[in-house]
Amino acid sequence: MTEIEFPHRQSSHCESGVVSNLLRYHGIDMSEAMAFGIGTGLFFAYMPFVRLNKLPLTTYRCEAGGILKRVARRLGCRIRRQKFRSPQKAMAALDAGLERGMPVACRTGAYWLPYFPPAFRFHFNAHNLVVYGKQGEDYLISDPVFPEPVRCAAKALMKARFAQGALAPKGVMFYMEHVSSEFDWGRAIRAGIKEVCRRMLKTPLPFVGTRGMHFLANRVEQWPSKLGEEGAKLHVGQLIRMQEEIGTGGAGFRFMYAAFLQEAAAILNNTDLLALSEQMTATGDRWRETAVIGARICKGRASATDTYAGIADRLRTCSREETRIYERLLECT
Amino acid sequence: MTNDATAPLKAKLKSLLVQDLRITHVTPEQITDDEPIFGERLGLDSIDAVEVVYLVEKNFGVTIKDMKEARPAMQSINTLAAFIEARSAAN
Repeated sequence: MTEIEFPHRQSSHCESGVVSNLLRYHGIDMSEAMAFGIGTGLFFAYMPFVRLNKLPLTTYRCEAGGILKRVARRLGCRIRRQKFRSPQKAMAALDAGLERGMPVACRTGAYWLPYFPPAFRFHFNAHNLVVYGKQGEDYLISDPVFPEPVRCAAKALMKARFAQGALAPKGVMFYMEHVSSEFDWGRAIRAGIKEVCRRMLKTPLPFVGTRGMHFLANRVEQWPSKLGEEGAKLHVGQLIRMQEEIGTGGAGFRFMYAAFLQEAAAILNNTDLLALSEQMTATGDRWRETAVIGARICKGRASATDTYAGIADRLRTCSREETRIYERLLECT
Repeated sequence: MTNDATAPLKAKLKSLLVQDLRITHVTPEQITDDEPIFGERLGLDSIDAVEVVYLVEKNFGVTIKDMKEARPAMQSINTLAAFIEARSAAN
């Protein structure tokens, strides 16, 4: 029996929540929003050539593992990351980490975690959690999207760590080997903000950043004629699931980034960031309206004004509003 | 049958769910206070959750910012009513 005293704290999004909780365990009290901001978590890309459940991938956040990597770099932490071919070796390495008294973060396929309510299960292979103990055949887990710690049978956790399909986790696990409390908050915050702005405004690919939102808007308008009614509904359903369900979604990530800007304003003593935080919240509302229209179409409850063109219009508005926010952020940091 | 102080709120929530999410096989009166909102009986899933969040905001002026708030709040009519009450009182 192993059990590490781990400070479980519920979060909105799994990776930023895991990073925030791990740092807290190591003595650095960093909010989830701050981890998300310093880790350059905010992103947008619509990638029709990458398929998840046979439907195009839309991402509202950075690559899996990116937040951890950048927070660690900007804070000067040393992370040990391992990936496995053998499920047995992966579980043995997890046990070894726990034996050393180390809380271990694992990447999993959320669908296979039995404590997820069935109505909220979805095939998503980049769900992060922290294993902080083992009792008999059950692991003790701090899953940041749950209010309380949970338990998971070893067999189920192994299956989740080796879920198949897009973004297969391949047993990835990591823990913090060294954490220093001596770092420059201002420098880390500014670096996080600048990288988000650069990615959202200057990535030279039409399907990424604020240009990517326009690209998606054009595609959404064409879905009914190109894919037929059922195909269009499936595509819009995928868009909504990826926006509002997986992790935190388009709106939720904007609200989280707004919270980060609010914290950053206080630390950097920069009132411009407060105003931009409010603007980011307003953009989050726009993303949510987009999701509501999509949900109604998907479920056959659309009114005359709930149309694919309506979704496209809002996506273009999001693009315009966010472009202004990132340009202003670059100026004021 | 509900007879607590939040009964009118719960009744309104049930009506809104049935009406706005077009649930045809269950009436508001047949929804119990503690049954899961999302699941087989009501036939609602995570896509519907987006609209539940919206209808709570539109009808009660209470914002559910993300899934961290949404999951515990949207377990049942009881939890949703308690969430709305708590938020309304805080505002």
